[in-house]
Amino acid sequence: MPDFEPSVVAFLCNWCSYAGADLAGTSRLKYPPNVRSIRVMCSGRVDPVFVLDALKEGIDGILVAGCHPGDCHYQSGNYKTNRKIKLIKKLLDELGIESDRVRFEYISASEGQKFADTVTEFVFRLKELGPNPLKEECQ
Amino acid sequence: MTYYELPIKEDVPSTVNGLLREWLVHGKIEAVIAMQETPSGKSAFPAMVSDPDKLNTNVFAPILPVSIGTMVSKMTRVRGSTSPIAVVLRSCELRSLVELVKLKQADLNNVFIIGVDCPGTFLINTFSSYPGKGNPTEAVLNDEAEGYLRSACLNCKDPVVESADMVIGIFGADLKKNLILDVKTDNGNSLIKGMDLKVLKDDGKRKKAVDDIRKVKDGNREIFLKEKEEIKGADKLLEFFETCVNCHNCMKACPVCYCKECLFDSSVFDLEANKYMAKAKAKGAFKAPTDSLLFHITKFNHMILSCVECGLCEQACPSNIPLMDIITGIAENAQKEFGYTPGTDPEAPLPMVVYREEEFQDVGE
Ligand code: SF4
Ligand code: SF4
Ligand code: SF4
Ligand code: FES
Repeated sequence: MPDFEPSVVAFLCNWCSYAGADLAGTSRLKYPPNVRSIRVMCSGRVDPVFVLDALKEGIDGILVAGCHPGDCHYQSGNYKTNRKIKLIKKLLDELGIESDRVRFEYISASEGQKFADTVTEFVFRLKELGPNPLKEECQ
Repeated sequence: MTYYELPIKEDVPSTVNGLLREWLVHGKIEAVIAMQETPSGKSAFPAMVSDPDKLNTNVFAPILPVSIGTMVSKMTRVRGSTSPIAVVLRSCELRSLVELVKLKQADLNNVFIIGVDCPGTFLINTFSSYPGKGNPTEAVLNDEAEGYLRSACLNCKDPVVESADMVIGIFGADLKKNLILDVKTDNGNSLIKGMDLKVLKDDGKRKKAVDDIRKVKDGNREIFLKEKEEIKGADKLLEFFETCVNCHNCMKACPVCYCKECLFDSSVFDLEANKYMAKAKAKGAFKAPTDSLLFHITKFNHMILSCVECGLCEQACPSNIPLMDIITGIAENAQKEFGYTPGTDPEAPLPMVVYREEEFQDVGE
């Protein structure tokens, strides 16, 4: 499927990754335009049901990004999210739904380049995977 | 840990009933929570009994309409008991209770934990109109009822209680003569103090019987997991749940489904008509608001690490969806990933409340 453009939803922490994405934009770094960003006050705000609901609605990839270890403004939101995402990915693997559609990254406010690289890589991987099989299903 | 002989009087259930009665009469406990038979004998349910004359327990009745773990949680989560209670439960019930304590939804203060060896249970209807010979409790005690066991019981993760104040044992006992009381703690000792019980010399028979039954279950489980391996992928999952009527019974029956109010019983997924229109246009068609797949996956996400594989979800399903066909494997593998075995070690923290700074570095890949 050469012209498949994956849809990506990114949940970005206000204090770091959201600013990182902003920096990528203002520095005019090149990255695929497939991402819809949702700002959250901490990556810890991302309830697994947000991720699962997006997948169920047919979104091809979900990126969650938060502050680096030690930098979370609420102490441990990022660590807990790391665990939560780990569990979601394991669950998806067990259910036979590609867990690569979900990704968690630490991206700081100064890492515009990391944000751009992450999105580029992610979109590349999603193109390999093809469309989310739940998209076309009547469910 | 010491084994004592509990001589059988009339039959096995009434012998245990007599033991509980004695504790009540002598004021060692003020109430018992245990499976009590209905007058017709067609069902049994957990009851809290304080009057010895009203005690009509059958702790081996092969039926599990609800988990006693759930009952103890309901009765103690507002505040624990200040007077002594004995709770008699099977292995899977106790494992769920341990999880509930960790979830701060049960309080074991003043609770004596009495485990019973579990020969397995039937579906409720199989019990109430038992198609086999004789009575279902005798059949299961004589190991003549394997064909009637629930799938969760055939593949039971562990039918023997390890950590309790006392375990009432049938495995390795000569049920014509006696039951085995495996007294494990000081609290357990205080219950039998003053009773004229003979110490049973440990000849290794019980251990062998327990090992054997565990081996049988593990073997069943392995075959079961192999058979069900291929229920994977979007199409198969949707097919698996296609008869789901979204009643949420599986969630209500689950002893470890911990939310006090389920997100899916709330109105968060109720949107304005135009949003549904947008969704219909985006997808072409969608299953009207009751979306079962999201419910099930979210439910797994909540309880899978604490799942004790009691099979109560499957038993509660009005559409007979064989939920254990997928839950058994997912629970085992997800728990392994987090190095967590639910219901065994009360000190082991729930995986989702702890974290280590350097771990699971591969989530991004
Ligand atoms: S799952 Fe195991 S412990 Fe629970 S009722 Fe069945 S055999 Fe007994
Ligand atoms: S998910 Fe099913 S098997 Fe697991 S604890 Fe809940 S009711 Fe029991
Ligand atoms: S009990 Fe059965 S029908 Fe009801 S929600 Fe659960 S799977 Fe669906
Ligand atoms: S504040 Fe950024 S992850 Fe918690």
